Amino acid sequence: MNSKKFFTNLFLSIAGLLLTLSAPSGFANEHQGVQILKQLQVHGFLSQGYIKTTGNNVFGHSNNSGSFDFREIGLTASLRPLPGLQLSGQLLHRRAGEGSDGGIHIDFGFLDYNFINMPEVELGVRLGRMKNPFGFYNDTRDVPFTRPSILLPQSIYFDRTRNLALASDGVQLYGESRTDWGNITIQLGAAFPQVDDKDSETSIFGHMTPVRGELKSRLSYIGRILYELPDGRLRLAVSSAQLNVGYDPSQNDIFESGSFRFSPLILSAQYNAERWSITSEYALRYSRRHGFGNPRLDQSSTGDSFYLQGIYRFLPNWEAVLRYDLLFANKKDRNGKKFLAASSHPAYSQYARDLTVGLRWNITPSIMLSTEYHRINGAAWLSPLDNPDIDSAEKNWNLFAAQISYRF
Amino acid sequence: MTGIFTYCLRGILLPALLIILLFTDNALSSGEAVEVITHPGTNVNYLSKNLLRSVFSMRLRTWQNGVPIRVFVLPDDAPLHNIFAKKKLNVFPYQLRSAWDRLVYSGTGQAPLVVHSEEEMRTKIATTPGSIGYLSEIKIDGSVQIVHINE
Repeated sequence: MNSKKFFTNLFLSIAGLLLTLSAPSGFANEHQGVQILKQLQVHGFLSQGYIKTTGNNVFGHSNNSGSFDFREIGLTASLRPLPGLQLSGQLLHRRAGEGSDGGIHIDFGFLDYNFINMPEVELGVRLGRMKNPFGFYNDTRDVPFTRPSILLPQSIYFDRTRNLALASDGVQLYGESRTDWGNITIQLGAAFPQVDDKDSETSIFGHMTPVRGELKSRLSYIGRILYELPDGRLRLAVSSAQLNVGYDPSQNDIFESGSFRFSPLILSAQYNAERWSITSEYALRYSRRHGFGNPRLDQSSTGDSFYLQGIYRFLPNWEAVLRYDLLFANKKDRNGKKFLAASSHPAYSQYARDLTVGLRWNITPSIMLSTEYHRINGAAWLSPLDNPDIDSAEKNWNLFAAQISYRF
Repeated sequence: MTGIFTYCLRGILLPALLIILLFTDNALSSGEAVEVITHPGTNVNYLSKNLLRSVFSMRLRTWQNGVPIRVFVLPDDAPLHNIFAKKKLNVFPYQLRSAWDRLVYSGTGQAPLVVHSEEEMRTKIATTPGSIGYLSEIKIDGSVQIVHINE
């Protein structure tokens, strides 16, 4: 926590310093002040969703009766007092069942300094809280307009344990090379992940309770390399991270002071044509729990995830999406039988296969209506917060979702 | 029965008609010539297609002389925006929108400024130093400068 505080203070002092340096004569000059304000951009979005499921709960009590407990409201502002300097921030209110029960969070807030910005090359540094550059969608995962569907493919973009991989506080170096044969963008970061949410405990302890102690964010590393053709038809990315979390037990705790490491590797590919796009991502997810003094917890495992998604723009402003999404909690136990033998919990809690069809209508550039249907086999991405009893989860279930979104 | 008929008319026929109109509208205007324009003080007469893409995807922030680039576009669903994206940038409008959204909503960049008519586009480009945008050929006058795009 001290190191985290250190980063926050460092961020604030550098922000202040750069602002002072950047406008030695500027702030005295009223005209220039107006010029700076002209560089302020404010955007926002607002969405309301409806989810109805059979058997299991997603984002609230969606089973049978349906749930309106899914809402996203965001306000984004950016200021560019100098061409090379940008301050950006986003406030997010997200209500999605027990995992996100409202409140307003700083989704990101950072300072971006661009040392070099030339036609062929760009280089810079960011300081503060940034969204983790994972795969194609994590950076903007809570903005309905940027998602291909209402729910992102859950095999990679977990909503059940989203906060650990969502954003982190620290420093990021970035660079971009732009040539005739394509653009390469690299982001490398050292930062502290967010662990103060309810679902961070789920990421680490799963169904094991009670968790009386406290999670501690530890220095973690995140990176992504993205290549795209100059016309953006083909996009390829590799993202990876090593997220570290420690555990401080309380008195009479059933767990000792352990540590958790999560290292995902994500391969992403996308092809964009005028009427259609095909996207696919594969993830290897290594996780290790160590020192908790509990043999069922102190283990390491590797899970994997894959989806293939097609989007068809069949009419102006209309899109259809078809996706098959696979999740395995443990690569060496894809059918969950070993898990069942060891824990006597259902084998199907170790995998999920999700076939999704969806429809999206951009009523205007700022209003969107989307709807989708999921046929799901397996319960691996169900949130334990919305489904406390893993043994009573349904193996085969359906999900229907509708969402209306507005932005400015 | 009349109720059902009216409902069908409203629910199916009218949207179908609208869609056909939208398509013909696109088809008619796709023959239109679009030109890239800048503020006269920008002093840029030629740009490569790749550089133009860097500008309109909001990645390049300044002109060579250090003046900040101000990008102006028409709304996503404007026919001229569609023609401009395809003919001048070789990208589809939805790709531009995704790229801008990624920048804005991750905080790593800014969006272009949206104008709602070609007249507004001309006025903004003529009066904003460092600005770049586009207009159909017939709407261009001496208040803005045409930029030629090399392959």
